[in-house]
Amino acid sequence: MRKLLLIVTFILTLASIWIALTLGAVEGPTANPESPVRNIVYIHVPGSICALFCFVVLLTGSVGYLVTSRPKWDILAAASAEAGTIFAAISNVTGSVFSRAEWNIWWTPSPRLISAAILLLLYIVYLILRSSLAASPRRKARICAVFGIVAFIDVPMVIISARFIPDIHRPDFSFSSSWQSAAFVLSVAAMMLLGAVMISFKADILRIKNRLDEQSFS
Amino acid sequence: MKYFLLSFKAVFIKDVITELRARQVLPTMIVLGVLIVWILRTAAEAVSGGALIVGPVSLWLGVLFAGLLAQERSFAAEQEQNCICGLLLAPVDEGTIYLSKLLVNIVMLCIFELILVPVVIAAFRLNVSGRWLALVGFLLLGNVAISSVGTLFSAIVQLTRTRGSLLSVLVLVILMPMMIPATFALLAIFNSIGDELAGTGALAYVGSIRAAAGYLVVFDAVFVVVCWLLFSFAIKE
Repeated sequence: MRKLLLIVTFILTLASIWIALTLGAVEGPTANPESPVRNIVYIHVPGSICALFCFVVLLTGSVGYLVTSRPKWDILAAASAEAGTIFAAISNVTGSVFSRAEWNIWWTPSPRLISAAILLLLYIVYLILRSSLAASPRRKARICAVFGIVAFIDVPMVIISARFIPDIHRPDFSFSSSWQSAAFVLSVAAMMLLGAVMISFKADILRIKNRLDEQSFS
Repeated sequence: MKYFLLSFKAVFIKDVITELRARQVLPTMIVLGVLIVWILRTAAEAVSGGALIVGPVSLWLGVLFAGLLAQERSFAAEQEQNCICGLLLAPVDEGTIYLSKLLVNIVMLCIFELILVPVVIAAFRLNVSGRWLALVGFLLLGNVAISSVGTLFSAIVQLTRTRGSLLSVLVLVILMPMMIPATFALLAIFNSIGDELAGTGALAYVGSIRAAAGYLVVFDAVFVVVCWLLFSFAIKE
């Protein structure tokens, strides 16, 4: 099943890259319309969507663990945090590259950029907390779940600031051709699938690690 | 309700008496706060009019970092002699322990601010111009926000290898959204900016001092309730 998922992800990624670079190329930054940076939208926006998606999975895992105390929920939360960190980093870095090309600045303290940075920091701090807890596995899982839930309260602010607050950030644009829309939808689908595959692989690794830890204790 | 009040009062008084006898936290908070103000006052000399901007910011920085010191101690002291086990064995609800610790931390910050605010006003020659009530209100809202998150995470970090340093990271990352309207409010109260600000920056998105107050009230309400509900999960063995 996972092999099939990997193949589908690979095909979708190739298809979205091909369409984005050929038929669906979007208008470039105002300063330099021919800049190759223009197609960053196909990575930046799906990266942001996946970072938020991973946080929803993290919240689900955290709440699930507090309610049921089953390790599988904690593993899901931990795996999604690692995947989310990568997507949040992609979103921040690609946004910064585009910002440099469009406005000649790497970063500015605008609400959306601050909230995107907060999202990345929340993921990083979650991972730091996870690695520095010196407690029993059950207690460690419970504490990480508590932080996951408290951290999630900051996420609606990220969504609100990206959608409703006037900002230097590029306004929501509509694609001028159906090829652009197709490339965008494909890139979002490819990245979401990639996120699911990453979470699944990481969850397997954590499950094996937990089993080994239990064996070494007994 | 009567039992809640009794146990709440018992934990609160225990913590206040411990601090009055040991005098460990408050002097450290004051020294740290004054040092932060002094360093930033020196830096503000670099630009003309810098004191107007740096002054209110230094007040928040002092409150934030001194607050972290107070919160870190609130559970470190319990952990040292394993007092936390006694506290958890006592017939007191975990939520009540959280609320009393929260109140202790808020009171500590209020006492600290009684000293730091005059120091900041004098050092940066700031003018409150009859807005004392607003200043007190915003500082109180800030204290509740900082203490609500800090008290919960103080209990958590006692189980980590890095303790204090991790507490500052955990608390500051959660408080970052709150610091934007809080900074806006103090800048407006000290007349560093107007009551309303237009533009595209992070401060401009807060918009007005009224909106900043609303944002802080919502933040406080949400985080106090969520942290209170989650505290028992964080503290249970």
